[in-house]
Formats: sequence, C-alpha cells, structure tokens
Amino acid sequence: MAARAEPVAPYRADWRRGRVASWVTTVDHKRIGILYMATALVFFAAGGILALLIRAQLATPNEHVVTRNAYNELFTIHGTTMIFLFIVPFWAGLANFLVPLMIGARDMAFPRLNAASYWFFFFGGLGMYLSFFASGGAARSGWYSYPPLSEKAFSPGSGQDVWILSLHLVAISSLLGAINFICTIHNMRATGMSWMRIPLFVWAIEIYSILLVAVMPVIGVGLTFLLLDRQVGTHFFDPTHGGSALLYQHLFWFFGHPEVYVIILPAMGVLSEVLPVFSRKPIFGYKAIAFSTVAIGFYSMLVWAHHMFSVGLPNFLNIFFMLSSMVIAIPTGVKIFNWLATTWRGNLILDTAMLWALGFIAVFTIGGLSGIFLAAFPVDWQVTDTYYVVAHMHYVMFGGGVFGVFAALFYWWPKIFGRLLDERLGKIQFWLVFIGFNLTFFPQHMLGLMGMPRRNFTYFHHGLWEAYNLISSIGSGIMAIGMLVFVVNVVQTTRSGARAGNDPWLADTLEWYTTSPPPEHNFDRVPYVTSARPLRDLRRRLAGSSAF
Amino acid sequence: MRRKLLVLVLVLGASLAFAAVAAAGNGGFAPETPHSPNASRINDSYKLIALLTGLIFVIVEGALVWFIVRYRNRGRPRTAEGPQIHAHTRLELIWTAVPVLIVAAIAAFVFYKLPGIKDVPAAKAQGGPLVVRIDAHQFYWQFTYPNGTISIDELHAPVHRVVEVEIHSQDVDHSWWVPELGGKFDAIPGRTTHTWFQADRVGTYRGQCGEFCGVFHAEMAARVFVESESAYRSYISSVTPMALGGQEWSGVCAKCHGISGQGGYGPAIAANTVLVEQAGLRHILEQGQNVRKPLASYMPPVGRGWTDAQFTALEAYLKAHVYKGAPSGG
Repeated sequence: MAARAEPVAPYRADWRRGRVASWVTTVDHKRIGILYMATALVFFAAGGILALLIRAQLATPNEHVVTRNAYNELFTIHGTTMIFLFIVPFWAGLANFLVPLMIGARDMAFPRLNAASYWFFFFGGLGMYLSFFASGGAARSGWYSYPPLSEKAFSPGSGQDVWILSLHLVAISSLLGAINFICTIHNMRATGMSWMRIPLFVWAIEIYSILLVAVMPVIGVGLTFLLLDRQVGTHFFDPTHGGSALLYQHLFWFFGHPEVYVIILPAMGVLSEVLPVFSRKPIFGYKAIAFSTVAIGFYSMLVWAHHMFSVGLPNFLNIFFMLSSMVIAIPTGVKIFNWLATTWRGNLILDTAMLWALGFIAVFTIGGLSGIFLAAFPVDWQVTDTYYVVAHMHYVMFGGGVFGVFAALFYWWPKIFGRLLDERLGKIQFWLVFIGFNLTFFPQHMLGLMGMPRRNFTYFHHGLWEAYNLISSIGSGIMAIGMLVFVVNVVQTTRSGARAGNDPWLADTLEWYTTSPPPEHNFDRVPYVTSARPLRDLRRRLAGSSAF
Repeated sequence: MRRKLLVLVLVLGASLAFAAVAAAGNGGFAPETPHSPNASRINDSYKLIALLTGLIFVIVEGALVWFIVRYRNRGRPRTAEGPQIHAHTRLELIWTAVPVLIVAAIAAFVFYKLPGIKDVPAAKAQGGPLVVRIDAHQFYWQFTYPNGTISIDELHAPVHRVVEVEIHSQDVDHSWWVPELGGKFDAIPGRTTHTWFQADRVGTYRGQCGEFCGVFHAEMAARVFVESESAYRSYISSVTPMALGGQEWSGVCAKCHGISGQGGYGPAIAANTVLVEQAGLRHILEQGQNVRKPLASYMPPVGRGWTDAQFTALEAYLKAHVYKGAPSGG
C-alpha cells in the first residue's frame, strides 16, 4: 500500500501557553508553589506596611498618625494577613514545590485540586484587602473577632462580613491543600522511602496537614455562626437571647492554637533540613525530631483554653490547660536540644540560610520560654492581653515563622529559580532584621509587665512606656530596611545571579538530584532510597566507584 | 584563649546586669510592684519561673554561641564532614527528663500559691468581704457599692479591707485589670466573674480595660482610690445625684462628644434637644443608635441596665451644665 500523507491539523497557538495564561491555567505543582509563595510574600509586604503604620502611631504618646478606627483596622488586618495570608499559604507554597520533589514524585496527588486551592487563597486574600473599601471600612474587631463586638449591633459595617467571607475562602483553600498533601505523602513516595526515611520537612508538612484537616472545619463553624448572627438574625453568640459569647472563643481557639503549630512546624521542618546540611552532619536524633513533631501536633489540640485563662473558667479546667501547655514545651525543647547537638563538632558553614536557621534557635528559644510564664495561669492573669503577649507571640511567629521562611528562601532559591541569592546582601539583611526584630519586640515584654494593654490606639505619659515604645518603633524601621535589602537581592539575583548547579550545598535530599530549576516531570529516574539521606549515599557511591 | 575569656566575661556581665535590674523590680523586668496579697503571690510565681527559664536561656544560648564560635568553618572545604553521629539515647532521655522536672517544679509552686491568689479571704474579723459590683460598658466602668451608691470610672475602697468585685458586662467583652492589685478578669455578657484585692496602703491605682472593646478601648481606664475606712464611708454616703450626673457625663458621654458637648469623635450635642427630652434621651441611651441608620450616626447602647436614679441624675446634670439650646416655648 502506498504511503499516504495524513492531513495535518493547521498549527494553532494554544492560548494556554501564553506568558500569563500559562501561569493562570497551570496545574504543575512547582508553578503553583511559586504562585503561592509569591502571593504570600506580597501579602507579607502588605501586612508589614500595616505594622509599620501601627508602630508609627505608637512611637510617641498621644500620636495621631492614623484615626482611631483606622488603627483598629490596621491591627485587625495585620494579624489576619500575617497568619492567614502570609505564613500558612507560604508553607503551602513551599510544600507544594518541595514535597513531590523530596519524595521523588512526579506531581501532587491531585494537580487540579492543587490549582483550585491556590485560587481560593488568591481570591480570599484579594477580598480581605478590598474590604478596606467596604462601607464602614475593613473589619476592626481584632484578628480573632470576638462577638459580641463583631456582631452587627456593635460592628455595623460590612467589612466584618467581607472578613468572614474571605476567611471562608482561605479556609477552604487550606483544607483542600492539606488533603492533597496527605494523599501525596502517603501514596507517592519513591521506592525504598519508608516513613523513617522521609525528609523531616515532609514529616512537618504531614502533621501540618493533619492539623489543618482537624481544625479548619471548627473555625468554619465559628465563622458561619457569626455570619448567621450578623445576617440572618440568629443568636448563637448573643447572651441577651440565650446564646453564648464564650462559645465563639472555644471554637476560635480550638482552631487558633493548632494554627500556631501549623505556622511553626514547617519552619521547624526547614531547620531540620538546613542545619545538618550546613553543619556537614546528619540530623541528631531523626526519630526524636519526627516523634516530637507528632507529639506537638497532638498536644496542640489540647491547649486551646490557655488563651482564655481570664474568662473565669472553672479551676480544674485552668489547671488542665496549664499542665497541657507546659507539657507541649517538652517536645519543643527536645527539638532545640537536637538541633544544637546537630551543630556540635560540625563543620559549620555560615551561609545566609544557616544564619537564619541559627537565628531561629536564638530567638525562638526566647519565645518558647516566655510561653511558660503564660502557661502558669495566675501569671497569665497579670500579663495576658498586654504587650507581653505581643512580644511572646512575635518571638514565636516572627522569630520562628519568618526566620524559617528566610532560611527556606535562601536554601531553596537556587533549586526553584536556578540562581543563588547574593550572600553579601543576604547577610546584611539577616543582621538588619535580627537586630531590628529584637529592638522591636524585646522591649514589648517590659511594656506588658509595666501594664500596657495591647490593641490600644494610644497611651499616656507613664514612666518608661515612652522610651520602650520609641525603641520598638525604631526597631521596626530597621527591620523594614532589612526587608528592602531582600527585595534588592531578588531583583539583582534575577538579573545577574550566579547559576546554581543541581546541588550547590552538597545536600542530603532528593530535590537536589534533579536540575535547578527542575523539569516539568521532575525526575528522569529516581534513585532507590536506602536512608534518610539518599543524595549523600549517591555521592559516596559515585566517589567509591571512581576510586574503584 | 583571650577571646574566649572576653566572650565569657561579656555574657556573665550581661546576665548579671539583667539579674540586678530584675531584682530591683522596676524597668519592666517583673510585673508592677504589688499592693495586694494576690498580686504579690503572682509576682512570687513570676520570679520563680523567671529564675528557672533564665537558667535554660543561659544554657541554650550559651551552647549556641559556643558551638558557632568553636565549630565554625574556618576555611575547611564544604566536603569536610563532621563526625556522623546519628543519635544518643541516654543523652536524649536526659534532655527530655530534666525539662519535665523543671516544668513540674513550676507547676508545683503555682499550685502552692494558687489558693492565696484565687480564693477570696473569708475576712471574718472584718465581717466578710466588701462586695462591689462592676458593670463594664463601652467605654466606662460602673461601680455599685453595697449601699446602692454608684460611681463611674472611679472605685473607692477602704485600705486593708478585703474587697470582692463581681464583674459583669452590659455589651461586649471587657477585662477588669488593676496591675498593682492583681490579675485580669474578663467582663463577658451573660457571665459573672469574680476577683478580689486587699490594698496594703492608701493611694491611687491605675486600672485599664484589658480586652479590646472597640473604638475607645484605650480610654476605658479606671482609678482605684484606696482610702481610710472613714474616708470611704463618707464618700459612699455623700455622692449627690448631681455628682453622679457629672461622673456619667464625663465618663459615659464626654469621651466621644467632648467635655462640653462640643463634639469630638461623636457629633456636637450641646444644642441637641434630645438632651432635655426625657423619653428620647432614655431611648437612645438604652438602645443606642443602630444599624438601620447610616453608619456615621452609629452609637452604642451606653445606658443599658441603668437605674431610674441614674437617668434622672444625668438628665438633671445635662439641664444644669451641658445643654446650650435656645430656651423654647418660653
């Protein structure tokens, strides 16, 4: 039979390949991860600007940088942004990029669901910021929005409703993402990668995801009740009609405390990856760190009412929540001691990623220790809702969360974009942020102990309040300069950064096996995994064979 | 060697300096100087925790700095590995068990101090505690004494006497807090919380709302006047309706509307006839001005739960001192 030319369909450019369209329609876990992280960092900048305005307002007593209502909007949206729109989605993005690579998979278990969860987050965050234009302005009853203050009778503007709607979208996003991570980690690991061989960052994401699945529905319930109270006229939280204002606090903190660990566990996972690589040693006590992650996840669901010691709970509940909160300090301490032991007798390479990781240990320890004061509920009665808590919480969230974010960015940037961030600028940024951070938040411990309540629009001349507040505001400016240095670093690196090979740090885990940036299908072939450090094994085998 | 010594001296010096400041008890290294037994027992707990956590702090940060200095790269190549130590069970058990003991010690000490912080002393010699009712409102504190006398934003209490406060809220969550006289307790609508104090000296103590309650949260302050028994008795038996009206005006109305009703955060009301319309005034105080109106005219229900005497006192005060409207109808 003679060869016959097949009719060829005329070439038509696929619109999905366009420069913007390819990002909008992507289901590639790496691109979704980049979208997630970029969006989260934009919200970090936005939330940071809100924080700078707060510090400007509080720099001196009786200041009028912003109006009263604007101030209340600032701290409400600042808190909401940093927790819901920055750190949690940033980890979702990093995990999106890394988890399949670390376990040697082609993609996430459900790529389309993955894209959906990003877009829920995107539109939720957009809604949150558009709420500044709502009638009556953005929500202004705190990031926790306790009723009755957040009820229609006391917050009549529609900003509060937009806040609820946006959080619903973000909560759905987190939930979908978490389910996807769990399915991916359970089902798609490379041959030979047993549970005791997965990277500790993946352990952290596993527990992060389980916590989100466990507690996100609870905040969903609380927000839905609040929305019904505001819009339909129910009285879930209205005591004048038989509701309970305290119920919301339970719903909120049953979610809210695990959320703290949703923020901190992935940062701890990052540390457990960075510290051994830059100490040129294995992680000390892999099992202890993995199990302490599980223990922290479990106990984090049993400590919520330590946020509520001053509401007048029965004594036995106060005692229970004091003990459970102190117990959770133990696995956290185990991690810190194991990290220190990892650096012991190592060859500590003080690159920027390592500086952030060591800085994390230095400042997070302070946040952990100040938490013990707060767990002892009589002491909590004295310092809760003061700047002491603001200081404690930022030592944990910023000293833990943000330091972890930058350790991750400096460590994995070459894998994500193929270029190394500039080390000199990175170190300048680290020291500016480290010094600025401590100047901003350490004096706030003192302010709280001296009786300055948080969420106050202004304050009066009172002893050392002025000095400490001014130091704090100056510190926030230094931190802001540090963040600008990072922006410069990113721009410079994108233009002319040094090319990174597959494995610039001589690391331990599978993501460094593929090219930087990785191809769309991640790996041509995945090596058989025989330990928690497959790449080091591979390097040694290669060195051995060449010697042979 | 000399450098190590220098670091050691610096670290020790810094910790000594901090300890000295902490011992002096000011500058914000401990809660404010207590003037009530419950507050001073909280301070004792604070100091014990500060001691033990301070110890952990020095160990962890010391080890961190020491390891960084001792084991830093010093020009070794990246390929030079440290000893490949994977774990050490006994060591790990020790650093799990020791923190458990420290935490247990803290908990035990707190339990030992707890009854003296939480339980209201029976005060039999004084004929039981003096019970004062606190009603928290947006944005003022209302105190009701056993004889029915009411004061706003200022609490008068006799020195050395056990005073039990019953905390209520009439609108949103607030928190009653006088740092020198003990911890915070929230005012939550639908619930009653209790705390107590026994001031050890005559003086004025600063109190401030501890739970964010809205736009004037920062101005929701209270002063506690601790005075001799006789001064206290003469105060609670001599508050005239006009004096109460004055306190209501400055504590309840003037924070938003200005001290002479000239306007501020809220609109100018000095010439508003509602001030002298009994029914209209009561309605707006009890119900506020709510959601059906434009947002700009929103006002919280500041007079919720008031007694007739309170309304009458305010009405009389408004007529006498605030209202500047044209006399109408001759």
